[in-house]
Amino acid sequence: MTGRIFAIEEFAVFDGPGIRVNVFFKGCPLRCRWCHNPEGLSGNRQVVHSPNGCMNCGACREVCTSPDACVLCGKCITACPRGLVRFAGDDWESEALAKRILRLKPILQHGGGVTYSGGEVLMQPDFLCEMLDKTAELHRAVETCGHGRAEDFARMLARVEFVYFDLKVMDAEKHRYYTGVSNERILANAEVLMHSGVEHIFRVPFIHDVNTDDDNLQHMARFLAKSPVTPQIEFLAYNNMAGAKYPLAGLTYNETFEQPYPEDIERAKRWLGDYKISFRK
Amino acid sequence: MTERIARLKAYLENREHRKNRRCLTEEELAVILPQIRDTSLSYMERNTLRLRLFLEMETPVLLPDTHVFGLRTIEHFPDIYSEEELNEIKKTHYVHEKGKVTNLAWAVEAVLIEGLEGRRNRLLSGKREDAEFVRLGGETIDMVEAFADRYATAMKAAGFAEEGAALSRAIRTGAHTMAEAFQVFRILHFAIWASDCYHNTVGRFDQWLYPFYRHDIDAGIETRESALEKIEDFFLSFNWDSDLYYSLAWGDNGQSLVLGGLLPDGSCGVNEVTELALIAAREVRQIDPKVNLRVDKNTPIALYELATELTKIGLGFPQYANDDVVIPCLEYWGYAPEDARNYAIAACWEFIVPEVAMDIPNVNGLSMAETVRETIIGHLAECDNIDALMEYVRDAIHTRLTSMASVFKNLHLEPAPLLSLLMRDCADQGRDISTGAKYNNIGFHGTGLSCAADQLAAVDSMIFKTGRITKERLLHSMATDFAADGELKHLLRNEADKMGRDDAANEIGNRLLHFFADAAQGLTNERGGIVRVGTGSAMYYVWHSRDLGATADGRAAGEYLPCNFSPSLFLTNSGPLSVLLGFSPDALKRTSNGGPMTLELHDTVFREEASVHKVAELVRAYILAGGHQLQLNAVNAEKLRAAQLEPEKYQELIVRVWGWSGHFVELDKCYQDQVLSRVEYKQI
Repeated sequence: MTGRIFAIEEFAVFDGPGIRVNVFFKGCPLRCRWCHNPEGLSGNRQVVHSPNGCMNCGACREVCTSPDACVLCGKCITACPRGLVRFAGDDWESEALAKRILRLKPILQHGGGVTYSGGEVLMQPDFLCEMLDKTAELHRAVETCGHGRAEDFARMLARVEFVYFDLKVMDAEKHRYYTGVSNERILANAEVLMHSGVEHIFRVPFIHDVNTDDDNLQHMARFLAKSPVTPQIEFLAYNNMAGAKYPLAGLTYNETFEQPYPEDIERAKRWLGDYKISFRK
Repeated sequence: MTERIARLKAYLENREHRKNRRCLTEEELAVILPQIRDTSLSYMERNTLRLRLFLEMETPVLLPDTHVFGLRTIEHFPDIYSEEELNEIKKTHYVHEKGKVTNLAWAVEAVLIEGLEGRRNRLLSGKREDAEFVRLGGETIDMVEAFADRYATAMKAAGFAEEGAALSRAIRTGAHTMAEAFQVFRILHFAIWASDCYHNTVGRFDQWLYPFYRHDIDAGIETRESALEKIEDFFLSFNWDSDLYYSLAWGDNGQSLVLGGLLPDGSCGVNEVTELALIAAREVRQIDPKVNLRVDKNTPIALYELATELTKIGLGFPQYANDDVVIPCLEYWGYAPEDARNYAIAACWEFIVPEVAMDIPNVNGLSMAETVRETIIGHLAECDNIDALMEYVRDAIHTRLTSMASVFKNLHLEPAPLLSLLMRDCADQGRDISTGAKYNNIGFHGTGLSCAADQLAAVDSMIFKTGRITKERLLHSMATDFAADGELKHLLRNEADKMGRDDAANEIGNRLLHFFADAAQGLTNERGGIVRVGTGSAMYYVWHSRDLGATADGRAAGEYLPCNFSPSLFLTNSGPLSVLLGFSPDALKRTSNGGPMTLELHDTVFREEASVHKVAELVRAYILAGGHQLQLNAVNAEKLRAAQLEPEKYQELIVRVWGWSGHFVELDKCYQDQVLSRVEYKQI
């Protein structure tokens, strides 16, 4: 079957053990206001323009026959003299994608593997499971926001060796405010993960005044206490470069979030210090 | 880093030492020139006379905070040839570059142990094949010893009486300690440069230093920490005069050293000095000496990790060489196993055999990209499949290489008595190295390999296999630089097969290298040496791209070719893993003249401790896959662009250019732009 991918990153160093290839699924059910991968949001194929290096020569506009609603004809892509226009989102047959990944097995097999990420992998659950089956000879990891149907989540869990699971905000309403959806389903899946026996790390995008307060951290600590194993938590400091790729996708980024303050980190250590926690800039 | 080394480093970087320099006066030149350009003297006499005058006119200067003395004070000393005389020689001789002996690695350990008097004994008791060499070799030893004595006197006057006395003794009868070894090396290295040899390498540093290091540690003279400080002092000394050395650009001066690797007897040569040298290079953070690390399938990951810590700071080294590929290749070319195992690196990346070789590994560069382009233009119309076209390519490579090698006739090399004395056999034989040695091979680079492979892969994937484009359309666009067919250019750049991504293109790259090796097979030179070929580009990637018309891979006329053994500059939908696997073909065991796979990683990749381990794993993966040589750079394109705009703020920004590292802001813009256009892998 076919799935839609917006990037394949070889030598991903932050997404699992060893040397990995990271496959980014296109489309995400969440709209996190700090998202730094805007080309992963829409499940549709898009034309993206890199503003860096653009001479404003107008070649792309000249050939465009549908300036108000892109019909994905690709004429602007071939017209750009600097190659700054491209499609984001390629449709891959699972067989071909698996071949593309397994070609790298001589390198990936020594303690590394493949990581499926996004966007959100659970937006394309059948394709995901097929890919996991077809790459079973490698160590398989997924990165997920957890917002998917329980049965899809279970199917996925049965096929992976490692999961990165996002925990953003614990309060359901606040979660909806910042991401567009409630976290009910997410927390249910997180509980399943905790009891699954599959190795996992909870990832927390750590943003000052969004989820760094005592309430949220205490809530998180209470939730993670349900885990039968000592939870691992990775705090990812909010990235000031989050808006960098928005012009690429024709979007604007107007958020003014802040990186965590040193006292935010101290607070996280206070509430979650009994667990295996780490902080990443 | 100790406080002393930090002060010394700051002194160097502030360039305060340069206040000791001077230019020769008109009066001095009027005395020097008639002597060294006296055509009634032999070239060897003129070379020796020039060195004598140079050393005698030098003023010993002791810089503060260093214990490795030897600073050049005369900025420029004239050549023994006038321009007219050299042009006259070129009419009847092959003159390589400046006609000097270059790119050799001398017998450092043996010389440091036996001293110059040991060399004199060999000279006097040996075969004495050339009486002039024996006479002038003796004079050369006298003048270098006298020069060392003048430094020794200055050292005594400055309160370094013991060290001064040790220098006078050690230069004659051999060094006993690390400190003595470094001081004698410095004097000899200084004198070699003064003798007008250039691209003077440092050889297998951890091997030649180790006996002295071991002695000092065992005798309680040094601790590991004090030894590290001495190595750092020594490393800084390579930068005092480096801007005065002959080179194409500041930094390209050939002061390369080699660490690790197999010993001549086949055992592993990694020792404590290997580790200390990697640490020292990281701490002093200078362009020189350039560090090369020899590795093989058994090298432990810990050594790669230590080396990656050096890569992380962005100097563009260490450069890795794979013993599992290079040694078999050198043996294939006829080097004895013990010599092959002892290989070192020339100025950039050419593999050279120390002590016993008078190889010239960089005679010229064959443009693979142009050869393939011409073949496509000339023969595509009559071919129906890629194999038929490849046959024409094979013939064209053979014809071109044969023609290039034939120019190497009646070689003229200026004699180099001093460097000869420091090689293994010249003193015993009584013969100058310029007349030949145990090995007299010549090497040719193959530039634009990936462009060549990609052109053929484009023809195969777009014309022969799928019929997506016609031969006429391609040929017309190549002739007109894609002027009226931007769509074809885009198609060729983005959708045609490419080396480093597609298996078919990788295989074509491998076949091209085999053709190159086949073409060299059987070629000999007038000295009985063979022709070696390799994957290097040196500056040819710039020269060969300037006049090269549009190519079948979608490259427009004049656009840069990739440097060395690297993928197309517009390779997309690939990544470092595909590139490393695609650039490790079996043909490297026949084409390892030198020329690295070059990979640029964005410096954010090194953000975390764990990623240092992963980069180390990546390097090991290339070695295990069968790659021959790898240059890994930590770069940040945004920073480089900022440096182009405000160079004054980025004086210390160092980048790897081709086989050497240089200060980014001091490079010609064409090299800056090429560095910027390389594929850079960063995290999404």
